[in-house]
Amino acid sequence: MSQIISKPAIRRLVELWLRQGKRVIAPVQVRPNLVSYQPVRGPDQVLLEGFVRPLNSIKQVVFPRHEQLFQYRVRGKQIDLLPAPLPDIERIVLAARPCDAAALPILDHVFNWEFRDAAYNRRRELTTVVTLACTEYDAHCFCTSVGSRPDDTRGSDALLLDLGDGTLEVRHTTDKGQSLFAGQTQASTRTAPISPGPERRADLRRVSQSLEQAFERSEWAAWTNRCLGCGACAFGCPTCHCFDMVDEGGPTCGARVRNWDACQFGQFTLHASGHNPRGVQSQRQRQRIYHKFHVYPKKFGELLCTGCGNCTRNCPVSLGVLPVLEAMQAEGA
Amino acid sequence: MTTPASNPPAGEFEPKIVAYVCNWCTYLGADLAGTNRLEYPANVRIIRLPCTGRIDFNLIVKAFEIGADAVLVSGCHPGDCHYTSGNYHARRRWILFRELLATLGIETGRVHFAWISAAEGKKFQQVISEITSQTRDLGPYRAYREICEICEV
Amino acid sequence: MLQPLRETCRRLLQDGTVQVVIGYGQAVRAVEPYPVFITAPDDVGQLVWNEQCRTNLVKYLLRKEIRALGKPAIVVKGCDERALVVLQQELQIDRSQIVVIGVACDGMDEPRCEVCDAHQPRFADHIIGHATNEMQPAERRYAHLGEFLERPLPDRMAYWKAELERCVKCYACRQACPLCYCERCIVEKNRPACLDTSATLKGNFAWHIVRAFHLAGRCVGCDQCSRVCPEGIDLRLLNLSMAREAEASFGHRSGTDPQAELVLGSFSQQDQEQFIR
Repeated sequence: MSQIISKPAIRRLVELWLRQGKRVIAPVQVRPNLVSYQPVRGPDQVLLEGFVRPLNSIKQVVFPRHEQLFQYRVRGKQIDLLPAPLPDIERIVLAARPCDAAALPILDHVFNWEFRDAAYNRRRELTTVVTLACTEYDAHCFCTSVGSRPDDTRGSDALLLDLGDGTLEVRHTTDKGQSLFAGQTQASTRTAPISPGPERRADLRRVSQSLEQAFERSEWAAWTNRCLGCGACAFGCPTCHCFDMVDEGGPTCGARVRNWDACQFGQFTLHASGHNPRGVQSQRQRQRIYHKFHVYPKKFGELLCTGCGNCTRNCPVSLGVLPVLEAMQAEGA
Repeated sequence: MTTPASNPPAGEFEPKIVAYVCNWCTYLGADLAGTNRLEYPANVRIIRLPCTGRIDFNLIVKAFEIGADAVLVSGCHPGDCHYTSGNYHARRRWILFRELLATLGIETGRVHFAWISAAEGKKFQQVISEITSQTRDLGPYRAYREICEICEV
Repeated sequence: MLQPLRETCRRLLQDGTVQVVIGYGQAVRAVEPYPVFITAPDDVGQLVWNEQCRTNLVKYLLRKEIRALGKPAIVVKGCDERALVVLQQELQIDRSQIVVIGVACDGMDEPRCEVCDAHQPRFADHIIGHATNEMQPAERRYAHLGEFLERPLPDRMAYWKAELERCVKCYACRQACPLCYCERCIVEKNRPACLDTSATLKGNFAWHIVRAFHLAGRCVGCDQCSRVCPEGIDLRLLNLSMAREAEASFGHRSGTDPQAELVLGSFSQQDQEQFIR
């Protein structure tokens, strides 16, 4: 016995959620060849088929690219600090890919490590993630190389699977997912086929061992020379989470804010003294690989990567973690 | 988007005009207006720089960011620049920058340019009065203030 | 064209004229060609040439990691090589220390290719293939901008608010641009800060205004910025508006005349305008 729901019924739900004042984030056709997750204003914007995966990720829902920590106001000798209120709007992510949802439990580790990020946790509580299993993949997808699959349920509150005729099967619901779809689905005997996903390129859960010996290899430059040092990979990545704290404003008012940052920027590790321990791009690229496939797993037991392929898709020169790791492994690592 | 408003009752909307002026011509022209007791609207905030050649295009944007309703950039007449050619460079820059503003949909009707010399106290009075009354008709420049509100994420 | 291209590069490497060839490589057809840096003559088989070779490789002449590889040869299309002209005028490269391999191009299936007048490279040391350069009138070359400017002013503002809302400040536009080469970009200055670095509407407007204007009269229209933007923002419109005005008011087209003066670094006493009181 399965539970199914029609695509029009899903769109009616979107309308209901919006009327209830909830924020709905879903894949949207931004340009003829660009799909990205955006807050929707109406149900017709939501894409439920016809794309591999959006070019951005859903981390922005719980870890926004710009966040106010507190405001300051100066009046004469009076200085007031006004902490930002905790978020309180419910969010529903609809039709997220499994590789996006799987990133959220991975991020939970670092945002609850020595310091528990209250705003992040609040957003996690307020967010319900409904995933849409993949039926196709492209040359950049590699979820099967990091221990994931097109119907992975990690981080998902409800998994939708396309039955191919305008209806979706609803599976694996958590309590949040249950309450979202309660009374909205019908029982059925039909079940959706599962796509096998992209062919496994490597077992990247084991690459940590190779990385142990590879740090001083001179080939890092050759493997990563074409990197231009932008942040497109980091910002499109579901698991990258580096940030920069900045004070913005003037002498009388302003705010301390937290913005996304990227380890590939030339000045990411620039010290106040002027010394830069990662002054060359290959050092920065090497660090990215180590963070994701060696350091994070050692610390938290999970890869900082869900195999979505956005790094390569967004990269102006098609670099990204898989090409670098494959180059490394091809040269006997 | 602002729509022209009919003249509001006195005391309702008073435009804020930021005037970036060069030290050697327009600033002295403004001073001359003062010494000659030529009254001009108090809506203008004058910011003195050495030369129009030094006026970064960013300053115009920043004026709107902090709530200006109109901006004036003014300096020496061509040929009279205290630094010989600063105003020629500025003129080139403004020719291009206005096009960028127009492409972005920023109201070029709120960005004014003038050559006002140290002897033209009367002209300074006239230009400020004109700009003030034009801007009063245009209304406050809400569009740029909206951009500067921090987005809720 | 591919064989002559590879042969030329092999010779240049073999006889030591250059130490590295900067060209296009492609591992699989499904992934667009990407920059490769060939140092061994036998590796020239990695070079490809097809209608997907859109990237402008000129930026790499300024990247210190690539300069460290030695004297370069670089593969350019007619549009890319305009950047070489500007960089030479701005004293950022020494043209005599670079071997330029121009490849004749039929177009890379982009809108700007339809109005291109530089299919045949004009400033190269070696030219592979042959194409003809047809003069294109300015209205055609700036048609994309012309259409946009038919929208009323408030609509233009609404358009940019919607577009720049998506900008995440990844700076892919800046990093890919051959003419953005400041060692310390204006957004990286923070004592005091000049612009908001935040990816808010205010910060995004500030950044794109600054970048477009710092490129005014310099941008060669290679469209790298629009192409690499992960959010699909049409930055081309901003650059076109500066290029169109520079051409209309000052007769200047960046990167087409090595003898021309830099447009904002020079002036004429006869510059005309109608808007200064």
